[in-house]
Amino acid sequence: MSICRGRSLRIDLTTQEIDRGLTPDNGIGGRTWNSVTLLEQLKPGIDPLGPENLLCIAVGPLTGSELIATCRFIASAKSPLTGYLGDSGARGFFAPELRWAGHDQIVFTGASDRWVYLFIDNDRIEIRDASHLVGLDITETTVQLQTELHDPDIQVAAIGPAGEHLVRYAIISCNLTRAAGRTGMGAVMGSKKLKAIVVRGDRPVKPLDPQRFKAACALLQSNIEGHRQFESRRMYGTTRIMDSLAEMGVLPAYHYRSAVYADLAKVSAEALRRDHVVKSKACYNCNVYCSRYNYTSYSEGEGPEYEAQAGFTVKCGNSDLELGVHVSNMVNRLGIDCISTAEVIAWLMECRHEHVISDSDVDGIDLSWGSRDALLRIPQMIAQRQGIGDLLAEGTRRAAEKFGTSARKLTAEVKGLELFSADPRGIKGYALMNAVNSRGGDHYRGEPMIELTGDEDLAMRRVGNPNAAHRLAEDGKGALVNYAEHMGLLSDSMTICKNISCCMDVVDFDLAGEAYSGLLGRDITAHDLWKVCSRVSQVERDYNLREGLRPEEDTLPSRFIDTPIPDGPSKGTTVDIGRMVKDYYGEKGWEAGAR
Amino acid sequence: MIHCDPVLCVGCRMCEVACSTFHFGAVSPALSRIRVAKLEAIGIEVAIACMGCAEKPCLECPTEALTVGARGEILLERDLCNACETCVEVCPVGAVGFFDEEPLFCDLCGGATSCIEVCPTYALSSRDAGISLAAYLEVEGLPRQKRAHYAESLAAPIRESWRRGVRVDA
Repeated sequence: MSICRGRSLRIDLTTQEIDRGLTPDNGIGGRTWNSVTLLEQLKPGIDPLGPENLLCIAVGPLTGSELIATCRFIASAKSPLTGYLGDSGARGFFAPELRWAGHDQIVFTGASDRWVYLFIDNDRIEIRDASHLVGLDITETTVQLQTELHDPDIQVAAIGPAGEHLVRYAIISCNLTRAAGRTGMGAVMGSKKLKAIVVRGDRPVKPLDPQRFKAACALLQSNIEGHRQFESRRMYGTTRIMDSLAEMGVLPAYHYRSAVYADLAKVSAEALRRDHVVKSKACYNCNVYCSRYNYTSYSEGEGPEYEAQAGFTVKCGNSDLELGVHVSNMVNRLGIDCISTAEVIAWLMECRHEHVISDSDVDGIDLSWGSRDALLRIPQMIAQRQGIGDLLAEGTRRAAEKFGTSARKLTAEVKGLELFSADPRGIKGYALMNAVNSRGGDHYRGEPMIELTGDEDLAMRRVGNPNAAHRLAEDGKGALVNYAEHMGLLSDSMTICKNISCCMDVVDFDLAGEAYSGLLGRDITAHDLWKVCSRVSQVERDYNLREGLRPEEDTLPSRFIDTPIPDGPSKGTTVDIGRMVKDYYGEKGWEAGAR
Repeated sequence: MIHCDPVLCVGCRMCEVACSTFHFGAVSPALSRIRVAKLEAIGIEVAIACMGCAEKPCLECPTEALTVGARGEILLERDLCNACETCVEVCPVGAVGFFDEEPLFCDLCGGATSCIEVCPTYALSSRDAGISLAAYLEVEGLPRQKRAHYAESLAAPIRESWRRGVRVDA
């Protein structure tokens, strides 16, 4: 059944030809269109950094509407980090502008032989020379384009030096710091010699059933404003979870060697707010405005979110919060994923701690825990591929091949994608999510946050199993992760912020159905949307199987299976990942993961 | 008229969404009579709508389509307007919109002030018309550049307070 179809631009960067067409006919926007496009149009086995790869940028019918926080674009391509389906979303203001310009998807094919940027002003579309932007970081690129185009309001999505140098976890960012961060979409953009996409648009987004749409918008707003986390999200954004993860005993201190971080108070959300946050910031049309602007003696910028904050402090054993915030600002400008970068650094530190490598293996960089030298130099070297940075730019899986078996055993990645800043052993739903989802080691495909609530009624309502409400229970997590994946895919298609739709659990399929129905002016049910998400989830699995995915890869690093959490409130916990994966396959109707 | 405190503005643009929805039942910043100037590289943002300024250079309208209403807002006589955009060009802070051959002035939603209603940080408030914008009369550029210039002119004391250590809780 066709629910909605959008306008798709096809930009051939090899021939410089621009074609106008339509998105696939069987999606609901965003990721659903991109994943179907990639399955249908990508040849199996291609080099992700070669001209055969496609880079798809999509928004959805709800993007740039009155519905709160419909602010994301989804970038999808074959991932140079995992070799499987890659995609990542960025918040901010670029996505609504693209929607207002009248384009729902851009598909880049081929590769340019010189650096270019794409200019979009409604229907005016031009491939322009970008040679003067080469080497500029993301902030410099954005400011330069806004200045030379005489338009401080124009929206820019750009790559930094890391994307230019094909760092396998390079990001695409808009609004300076709002990143499509995971799976190396910036490297794919760099491989096409596409430095930036610039867009200006003024076409109104008009709901066809205004009353129905307004009601859905009002319901979402009241769900948000009545939510128990509303105030703390306004105060701290995602950094609020630092304390709760500590209370649960799932902090990844010293690269998962301890769940207890003695200097927590120095790097907490409270410390960040007290010492460095100077104002709140928002993405498009969002009443939560959970982002924050920081000011440090080194630098200033938007952020950090929890992942950068914890990644560059707790995970690396660094108690100097100001340094951690600065590193977050720096990686944003260089254009590398803060999660993968923090994991690279913390992993190296643990390798050195275990005497697997020495400082001389990494160009003499001091790799002791919390090393300022490492935190300041390694991101730069990665982004420029200088010295050891050239190897580290390949990601921990490939780098570990060079450093040997002992180093590989210390990595924390799934399918090549580095893990987040939490310990999966003490949050079983997240453990399963990391093991099975299409991106690899990733918590954000959808958030199985219900397991953090203890709310058995909610768990019953969403997945029909009260045990799913408890983080240490393994029972019920197959259904929970399946539900969370559907919610993530729905959110990536509505292009709504997942911190709101998934983490706050204020959007469900019924509300989404009302929003789609109101916007499109015809009945679209929760069941219709669920079916599309199920089908596209299968499309993503099929893509990965076609690329050679083996069910054995649906697992966690052995350190989380064999070794219990050594201390803290979750002490003694490991993950029986095989059991949960089987449970999940059962939910999906897959025989031993073959499909 | 609508006043925005740049210390409180977080740049969400909910005011633009509310304004264009109120007047047109659709969302586009080009339909909004209030626009947020965002200087992302220095962390400053501010919403700008017609301030009903003392100078009112827009009243130079060659077809005399503009008059001043009871609250100090600018009223457009559509039949007289020839869409020459003079008013758009002369506004010192770029607060006059233009869409579909028609200039857009803040009309306070006839008193409903939908942007103030929706602003999540209370950065927007009502203020009497008549503030002087004389300091901005010589600013050159497109309306969007004038809005950015206005935002930039408010930045120094805010950024100085950050430098001195004023944090969000202060």
